[in-house]
Amino acid sequence: MPIDWEPIWLTLRLAGITTLFLLILGIPLAGWLALSRFRLKPVVEALVSLPIVLPPSVVGFYLLLAFSPTSGVGAWLLRTFDLQLVFSFQGLVVASILYSLPFMVHPVQAGLENLPVSWREASYTLGQSPIRTFWRVLLPNCKPALLTGVVLSFAHTIGEFGLVLMIGGNLPGQTRVASIAIYDEVELLHFETAHAYAALLLGLSFVILLLVYAINKRVTI
Amino acid sequence: MIEFDLTIPRLFSEGTGALTVQVALETGSLTALTGPSGSGKTSVLRLLAGLDKPTKGRIAVDNVTWLDTGQRIDMAPQQRSIGYVFQDSALFPNMTVRENVTYAAPVGQVDLITELVEITGIRPFADQKPARLSGGQRQRVALARALIRRPQLLLLDEPFAALDADSSQGLRAVLLDLHRRWGTTTLLVSHYDVDVRALADRVVHLQQGRIVRDTTVADLPTHSGEYIEHIRFDDLTQQWVIETAMSQFRSSNPDWQRFAVGDQIRIQ
Repeated sequence: MPIDWEPIWLTLRLAGITTLFLLILGIPLAGWLALSRFRLKPVVEALVSLPIVLPPSVVGFYLLLAFSPTSGVGAWLLRTFDLQLVFSFQGLVVASILYSLPFMVHPVQAGLENLPVSWREASYTLGQSPIRTFWRVLLPNCKPALLTGVVLSFAHTIGEFGLVLMIGGNLPGQTRVASIAIYDEVELLHFETAHAYAALLLGLSFVILLLVYAINKRVTI
Repeated sequence: MIEFDLTIPRLFSEGTGALTVQVALETGSLTALTGPSGSGKTSVLRLLAGLDKPTKGRIAVDNVTWLDTGQRIDMAPQQRSIGYVFQDSALFPNMTVRENVTYAAPVGQVDLITELVEITGIRPFADQKPARLSGGQRQRVALARALIRRPQLLLLDEPFAALDADSSQGLRAVLLDLHRRWGTTTLLVSHYDVDVRALADRVVHLQQGRIVRDTTVADLPTHSGEYIEHIRFDDLTQQWVIETAMSQFRSSNPDWQRFAVGDQIRIQ
């Protein structure tokens, strides 16, 4: 039975876009968490880590309420940007970013915290700003942590199910990612197709992790 | 002239107390800050660099106030004209030697970079990463990097601590050469008598956060008959470590356990 490749491409597109946004958002956030002495930092850390302990359905439920056109945020997005996040690919991206945030932030934060303080201090005594120090000295010396963050975020997004179902539903071409397609095919007793999707995800995930471990071994600072 | 008067609470090996130092450094001088481990030497450097904040104090460099707690003036480390050589070099591993040196170089200072690279003798390994260098080479790079902005004050935190005799001698020669050429006011923290005598023109000795001696090198006590100020056993190296006012000695000789603080030892 020929399989529909769309859910696979949609999954990869979602994971790729989510990881890209997580790099943009997660790295500065991880840097701030690693280096800041802000008193309320534990509150931010707890908020970032929430998706790790909460069931995806809980996160999905509250995001569904928040993105709904009848809620304040959802109505504002619709009115201002003509953007409806519920049951749309954009909604999946936003939800995935929030849900996978700790998988990018935690490794990078830990990597930064493990660097010798003297590197940062040496840069400061050389007249360099904290921002330049971060980008030129600290982050380049965290390559393995950065790579771990990218892979975990990508892999985690590939494997999302509950959250995707809550926010995106099952719209072919828009929100029907591979994990939803597998569930769908099993429900229809199309085990052969379900198996094809499942095997593809399994192989893809294995290859990604294999590449990461291989590259991580060779990464030199 | 660099004047500072700093106070900060500190935990010393003998208990809690306050680090209180008041010193005036002549412009162009090279002053050694000596004292037993934990007497507050590195803390003084960190306070001068702005890496730590004193509870009370003032730092003025050529009549420019870097710090005055009374007036709530506190320049960030970036704004202070300092060069700091850390005990562990603190070179950036992602950069080559040349990139480390030029990282903070003022724009258009090609001649200065060339001169520093030549004087410190780092040209042969300028394109290598720090991980491939020896301890002595690393400290020479750290020195070149610290001087690239031509700071008003150079702070050296035990730069010879991890070096063998040959490397120490090489670094001493480079330091002396640079000091003679540029006359950068320098504060050197060192445990080693030979370095202090070879480099410094003045020695400030700290004990438990207080200055107990401030003298010229010429007036330092001779080697014979120094008194033990601190004695401990280093679990890592399995050696006895004895510190006098001017020197630090190490030995695996079990007889050393008989020594006590206050004993006079004769050094050959």
